Amino acid sequence: MIKVSNISKRIGKVQALNQLSFSADDGMITGLLGPNGAGKTTCLRTIFGLLKPDEGYAEIDGIDVAKHPVAAKQQLGLFPDPFGLYERLTPREYIRYFAALNGMSKQAASTATAEVLSKLRMEDIADRRCKGFSQGQRMKTALAQAIVHQPTNIILDEPTRGLDVMSTRVLRDLLLQLKQQGHCVLFSSHVMQEVAALCDRVIVMANGKVAAIGSPQQLCEQTGQTSLEEAFIQLIGTDEGIAA
Amino acid sequence: MIRRYSCWIRSLLMGLGLFCALPIQAIAVGHSNSCYATGLSDRLQCGSVEVAENPAKPDGRKIAIHYVVIPAIKNLAPQEAVLGIAGGPGQSAIENAAGFERMLHKVRQHRDILLIDQRGTGQSNALNCDSEDLTAMLAHNDEAMDIAADVRKCKKQLEQHADISQYGSEQALADFEAVRRHLGYQKLHIYGVSYGTRMAQLYMRHYPQAIATVTLDGVVPMQQSVLAIGGAIARAQTLVISDCEKDPLCGKAFPKLREELDTLSDTLQQYPVMEKIHHPVTGETALLTFTRDKLQGALRLAMYSPSIRALIPFAVHQAYRKNYQPILGLLSLQSGSLDLAMGMHAAVVCGEDWPRLTAAQRQDAEKSVIGKVMLKGIDESCPIWQIPPALKNFSAPIASSIPTLLLSGEKDPATPPAWAEMAAVKLTNAKHLISPYATHNVAAQSCAGDLIAELVEKASVKQIDGKCLNKDVRRSFYLNASTVEAIGEDKQ
Amino acid sequence: MMAKVFTLLRKELVDASRDKRSVLAGLYYAIGTPLLMCGLFIVLINQLSSPEDLPVKMINADKAPDLVRYLGQQGINSGSGEKADKLVLQISSDYPQKMARGESAEVTVIADNSDEKMQDSIRRLQKALQAYSAEMGSLRLIARGIDPRVLQPLKVEMHDQATPDSKGGMILGIALFTMLYSVFISGMNLAIDTSAGERERNSLGLLLSHPVTTGQLVISKLLAVTAFAMLGLILILLISHFAYPLVPWAELGFSISISPQFMLLMLVVGLPVAMLAASLQLFVSFMAKTFKEAQSYLTMVMFIPLALAMSASYNIAPEVLKWLPVSGQQQALMEVIKGKTLPWMELAIASGLTLLIAAILATALARMLRSEKVVFGL
Repeated sequence: MIKVSNISKRIGKVQALNQLSFSADDGMITGLLGPNGAGKTTCLRTIFGLLKPDEGYAEIDGIDVAKHPVAAKQQLGLFPDPFGLYERLTPREYIRYFAALNGMSKQAASTATAEVLSKLRMEDIADRRCKGFSQGQRMKTALAQAIVHQPTNIILDEPTRGLDVMSTRVLRDLLLQLKQQGHCVLFSSHVMQEVAALCDRVIVMANGKVAAIGSPQQLCEQTGQTSLEEAFIQLIGTDEGIAA
Repeated sequence: MIRRYSCWIRSLLMGLGLFCALPIQAIAVGHSNSCYATGLSDRLQCGSVEVAENPAKPDGRKIAIHYVVIPAIKNLAPQEAVLGIAGGPGQSAIENAAGFERMLHKVRQHRDILLIDQRGTGQSNALNCDSEDLTAMLAHNDEAMDIAADVRKCKKQLEQHADISQYGSEQALADFEAVRRHLGYQKLHIYGVSYGTRMAQLYMRHYPQAIATVTLDGVVPMQQSVLAIGGAIARAQTLVISDCEKDPLCGKAFPKLREELDTLSDTLQQYPVMEKIHHPVTGETALLTFTRDKLQGALRLAMYSPSIRALIPFAVHQAYRKNYQPILGLLSLQSGSLDLAMGMHAAVVCGEDWPRLTAAQRQDAEKSVIGKVMLKGIDESCPIWQIPPALKNFSAPIASSIPTLLLSGEKDPATPPAWAEMAAVKLTNAKHLISPYATHNVAAQSCAGDLIAELVEKASVKQIDGKCLNKDVRRSFYLNASTVEAIGEDKQ
Repeated sequence: MMAKVFTLLRKELVDASRDKRSVLAGLYYAIGTPLLMCGLFIVLINQLSSPEDLPVKMINADKAPDLVRYLGQQGINSGSGEKADKLVLQISSDYPQKMARGESAEVTVIADNSDEKMQDSIRRLQKALQAYSAEMGSLRLIARGIDPRVLQPLKVEMHDQATPDSKGGMILGIALFTMLYSVFISGMNLAIDTSAGERERNSLGLLLSHPVTTGQLVISKLLAVTAFAMLGLILILLISHFAYPLVPWAELGFSISISPQFMLLMLVVGLPVAMLAASLQLFVSFMAKTFKEAQSYLTMVMFIPLALAMSASYNIAPEVLKWLPVSGQQQALMEVIKGKTLPWMELAIASGLTLLIAAILATALARMLRSEKVVFGL
């Protein structure tokens, strides 16, 4: 469960976030939809405590991120954009490292790593160094890192960017699986189809504010449009920065 | 520069001149264990070891045996040192540190040099007697001097701070060993020169386990009384004359040298010359009483150094022609340059050499002028010193298998090459090398320092070859007061 | 807490050990420098010192046979050929006549004094000639009934305070400096890679989104860089231990040896310096946005310890350098290698100061990493 309350954040002269409030529930996939520059990444970074909000607060499973960053982050998994791989480590080393950083014992980290490697069907590349990996292989490694310690909440920043069809499918299947297991999944995207196909709830962001919240269905109804795309354009008031 | 090749003695009557060609006095000024020696800019390590003067009375008078260590440039064998032993008897090894450093320069690259003032010399309770200054020495008729009175006076002075009977070689040897143990050296490479070779041989006899190698330079064999030196002096004098005769330039300049020397000597014996002279140092008017003994003494000293030796034919010829300036110059070298501790000298010679003189040896000594004079002096003084004689077995040759290098100079006026042969009779691992051009103290005049370094480095005499000693380094004789090169032979 | 630092450190070391650039940077320096120095000195010494047997071309040698034999005894021999042509001794043709009249006979040394290879040989020949001249002068005085000591009114004694080890002070200073400086060189690439590099590869944000504190992060990176720096130091000490004795120092009249005791001391003394180096390099690199930028910053910053250490190897260094980081350690080590006692007081203060600065930099860095500006380069 991720909850954001009245967060405002100025970066330089830009009001990146403006009284932003929403929540993402367990057992649900929540999509953060917005055009480029809407404040999606800033929002996610604030949830991770990497940015300090000027006002408001973010909570992970009821823990205030700003006050107890380590405890809050323990309940989070991040699939970042860009991935931030260590190219000289193998996926197994890489994943085990982050498992250990999340407080798992050596033994537990190794077991969890093996499990996630098999879950993502990565055994063939598990012991090769990441240097030279394809985008799909990188995505899998980054994803494995995000879920290896079984966090309640998983945040994905533009997860499908640059992925081929096969990789996108793997990702999609995994997210659905996570949802079924009761995790809270929050991802940001500017790709409409993806959001429409996956999300139980969509938070439409524009100019640092929530423009609308609801299931894709509800959003269409709310705007009287038949496709989410049309609804989206109407909600943010412009077609600027929207990818088809 | 003269210091480098000069070699003197103060009292002609008593000094045996078994010393080496080394510079003049030095004082090791010590503080916090580091000090300096004259002529050496390097910082040395100094110290002393306190020992009982009389080993039989450990609670009696204590004397401090001083030593200096000339540190190795790059110490590859910190457990070893090269012990340099000075001659005389009566020379201070520390005062001659610069000379030892020069001779053992190669060895020093990798090993410390240890110099010890033998008891009774230098800083180790020196037994010095008052000596005449140059002015008095030149003026006095030495042949008429009262030796006994001088000896009595000196003995009285020395007895206030020393028991003179305790200053023999074997007592001193125990001091050396005490210093070695004090400094923690496991093995010594010994370099003894002149009388120092006797100390080195005693070391081989008494503490062979402490010795790695031995170099004996200007060897005094144990079997030999140093009082037999008269024959060696006469031999060296003959060599000077025959060398001159063989040399085309010298032979031509002084064709009757042999007769001139004999005539001069005989004349002086009968009629000593009295002359008003300019003092060699002060330049003031002074008196010279020129006797046969002074002539012999001056020539003898001149023979110690290859370069001063080159002046002998000219000096003799001039004196024969009644120009005493060159001989005056040679006489002046006797003063101030060498301080033999005469009390210690007597303690050694009267205990170890005088008692064992046989009738045959006495007869032998009487043959040469200088031998006769020396015998007369020693016979007068030793009964006054009253030194207990050394034991009989003291004179036994050294039997040893320690690698030993013996060095002799063909022109040596003190220890002829035959003496080294005598010393080597029972040395099973020894090599005797003769430098055809060197006088006394071969290492100071030749490449022998390199050979010693080789011996020390390899601890064996086998591979040492003395070829470099044969390089022609002879010095030409002076033909007048200025030159050694052909006069007026203008070939252009 | 420590478990996380250990996990971080382990990863940093594994990662760094696979980074060829980081490893080689340290390796090249640690192995190359002592070998280069020794090679240079071997060549220099051989070039600068006079050969045992010095061939000299002697003109009119037959005019002065005694002089020629005297020189021969000093290893200066009449020779011919290319080598001998570089040093010519011309004996004047009226040498015997001048000598015979008690005048000064002229001998001329012909050589190129700017040829550094020859300087030692030229000096040696001149010294030998002067010695011969002095000896003959003395003998001439004796032959005239004068004691030659009158020609020496001053007896000049020199008391050299140097020990055989301290004579090589300058070279020792440089040698020591190259060793101490290895802690700055060996870890530098890693410091950049793990900071600016980490940010450049976007892994810093990810790392910070995990439950680790910036303090843990800084400590682990500090330890990793320090470890690399110390490894470099160990390596250069080992190489120096074997390489330096190969140089014929004795020909210069001193010795340099890196004893095991000294190596141990150097490691202990070097540790705070390594920590200072690591914290300084990390601090500077984190301020840079890219690897390249960090490299150029560091090249400039590294001049400070360079200048400190270098100036400490000269005797003219101001007193205050004894107490400062890097220069303090350098001077203390030099005292030890010169055979003097370790200046405990100065070393303790310098080391304390070193650690203090390292701690301040590390604390500042940890605080800095909490700032979003630094992490995202905003």
